[in-house]
Amino acid sequence: MYEYDDIDQTLVDERVAQFRDQVARRLSGEISEDEFKPLRLQNGLYLQLHAYMLRIAIPYGTLSSRQLRGLAQIGCTYDRGWGHFTTRQNLQYNWIKLEETADALADLAKIQMHAIQTSGNCIRNTTTDQFAGAAHDEIEDPRVWCEIIRQWSTFHPEFSFLPRKFKIAVTGSPNDRAAVRVHDIGLRMHKNAAGEIGFEVIVGGGLGRTPFIGKTIRDFLPKQDLLSYLEAILRVYNQFGRRDNLYKARIKILVHEIGIEAMREKVEAEFAASKDGALKLPQDAIDQIAAQFAPPAFEKLSGISAEYANAFRTDFEFGLWARRNTFKHKQPGYSIVTISLKKEGAPPGDASAEQMNAVADIADRYSFGEIRVTHEQNLVLAHVKQSDLPAVFKALKAYDLATPNVGLASDIIACPGLDYCALANARSIPIAQQIALRFKNWERAHDIGELKIKISGCINACGHHHVGHIGILGVDKAGEEFYQITLGGAADEQAAIGDLIGPALNTRDAVDAIDTLVETYLRLRNSSDERFLDTYRRVGLAPFKEAVYAVA
Amino acid sequence: MAKAPKLNSQPQVVTANHLLSGDVVYLTKAASWSRRIADAAVVANVEAGAALLAEAETQAKKNIVIAPYLIPVDASVTPPKPIQYREVLRAEGPSTEKARPAA
Amino acid sequence: MPLLKDGRLVGEDAFQPVADDAALPESGAVLVTYARWQAEKEQLSGRNDPLGIVLPNTLDVLDFGAEAERFDLIVLTFPKFSDGRAYSQARLLRERFGYRGELRATGHVLQDQLWAMQRSGFDAFEIPRDDAAEAFAKAISTFSHVYQPTGDGRVSALKQRLAIQNKDGRRKQEAAE
Repeated sequence: MYEYDDIDQTLVDERVAQFRDQVARRLSGEISEDEFKPLRLQNGLYLQLHAYMLRIAIPYGTLSSRQLRGLAQIGCTYDRGWGHFTTRQNLQYNWIKLEETADALADLAKIQMHAIQTSGNCIRNTTTDQFAGAAHDEIEDPRVWCEIIRQWSTFHPEFSFLPRKFKIAVTGSPNDRAAVRVHDIGLRMHKNAAGEIGFEVIVGGGLGRTPFIGKTIRDFLPKQDLLSYLEAILRVYNQFGRRDNLYKARIKILVHEIGIEAMREKVEAEFAASKDGALKLPQDAIDQIAAQFAPPAFEKLSGISAEYANAFRTDFEFGLWARRNTFKHKQPGYSIVTISLKKEGAPPGDASAEQMNAVADIADRYSFGEIRVTHEQNLVLAHVKQSDLPAVFKALKAYDLATPNVGLASDIIACPGLDYCALANARSIPIAQQIALRFKNWERAHDIGELKIKISGCINACGHHHVGHIGILGVDKAGEEFYQITLGGAADEQAAIGDLIGPALNTRDAVDAIDTLVETYLRLRNSSDERFLDTYRRVGLAPFKEAVYAVA
Repeated sequence: MAKAPKLNSQPQVVTANHLLSGDVVYLTKAASWSRRIADAAVVANVEAGAALLAEAETQAKKNIVIAPYLIPVDASVTPPKPIQYREVLRAEGPSTEKARPAA
Repeated sequence: MPLLKDGRLVGEDAFQPVADDAALPESGAVLVTYARWQAEKEQLSGRNDPLGIVLPNTLDVLDFGAEAERFDLIVLTFPKFSDGRAYSQARLLRERFGYRGELRATGHVLQDQLWAMQRSGFDAFEIPRDDAAEAFAKAISTFSHVYQPTGDGRVSALKQRLAIQNKDGRRKQEAAE
């Protein structure tokens, strides 16, 4: 994985010093809260309901065991011993004090981490496939490009005060696990007719108040032109994106209002003028970064390991877990393990310091000391020998980290909601907990199969509800929490925005409605191979709507 | 964020977040700040509310708290209970952490 | 309003701002709006004294860039510090159109934005504080490296690393020889 050199380290250290000075100037009254707010936000510090919240960037969701231990330690020193993994592959601490923030950032810098540009109207942390560098279906490791984007976008002087925030996601696989079609810019690596690898560039996707699936602005972009092209898009957006209305300021609105053709014309003109300039990436520069993402020293293995086969046959719980929580690796004899942070009844995405330390230890022992964070708020051990899977299962289970529910109904995405967030209208975590408990029975959950439930506590859609197979949006109805339900959304290569089924329901009715929806699916599906989403696409909204709103 | 209701002659208190710690605080009768809503100064008319808020704004300018505002409360109970759900959560803490053991 | 140019406070602005409805002085450096320039190009071009122009941040500078070289001063505006359009205008004027005259930032110009402004090509700042020179010196020395190339001459981290790699390579080669 990528290790900082003196340049990277100096920059994050200088950033901490800069922030320390900004805090001092805020406290002395030299700068006002209005002036200070964007400065703290660009360092990931929000003021939430109960305290400050610090959002740590986990670039492209990759962590070393040392970094994860560091995060656990920071969670103990400055928070209450917990961390919350988010849908943007980041980590949030919910109980931070302004007076201690610079110290927390200094501790982060010691483990080559930072909170730079995790908020504010700038280019945010670039996200990617959590299986990058390991997945069997991958064309190329997208993290090389994420790191190149990270460096280019960090402290970009031209793009620090964009009309609105800006999120970029990259997938190196045709099976999109990074939701690239619902980002401001999505990059999909693929091969052109000549066999060269480059990017399909997708622009103007996004969730929030006005959800859009992104549109392709360019089918194939050569690798060396990546930064020139990104800068062209950002330059057009910075100048022509709307600034008169906060809710219309994202690039998706610009693309929607002027149309993708006009957008393409502007971007291509800008690109034509700059593509052979200083941003063109020399091959040796690409190679230098790529060398840092070289695959670990895999053992040459063949056939199915006896330990694995034996455990699969004899240990029922292990078999259940291995079926649900492991994924095919590109290297024979290895598997990718997803660590569920979704034990039924627990807040989705939360991990205690003890759990983080345990995962770090397990990663050291069994997965080359590397951990990934998924946008679905789970963790991943990317390179586990199949013969080690039984031991990994056992070690995870000891820390409540082996719930066999990845991709199932209880593997719910939920934003922090009104329990923490100053923007929320309703709570997300308690309803997620109640729904998950309904699917605790493994037989039923596994029979239902893949079902992505995503919950947001407000229209900003941090919980990605628009692209949930079942989406749940919290609203405030005369001081009471209500929930709107959408069906048929998807975040993958067949991305779709869900359809609203009807009027919002109160908490109890909404939880019941999820059960009803699932029962309706089980009744309507053609076979157990037909997923909830497939059935919905086949039969449409009507039977589901009828079932939920039928007069009792 | 839900819109704050228009306040008339109903019981109300001033709340804010403490600048240094970020903690939820309430303005007391002694014009200081407390983390407990039980200590809050409760007033019950528009003029008194405005005066309380003006005092809080002054303290915000002195960089003690951030963005003070008035909230309606039910003063018939002790301690006074906010009317809006959001403010109940601010007063009592996240509903999710009550069951959680300290790590 | 204190004016900072090349990091130093300038006592008096050499350019006299002229309102759109006011008569132009016979001589001397003047600063006019983009609207006036559009209306009185011929007359303004005939003057022998330095000419400055204030561009609105809503202007597509691609429509103006070719005329930039006629000016000795271009003023770009930040109505609010969070409105970052003028950063792009500045880079385009400097890097695309080769403008070499004074490029001044006006409006809501704050210490914490000076670094980005300077990197984007601004060399003059209207900044409402007496210690503007100190604030500027502090702001532009915040970071020792840059990750991305702009027209400011700083070498990006990527190019720095390549230079180090090449130097190491040469040294190894020499040692081998």
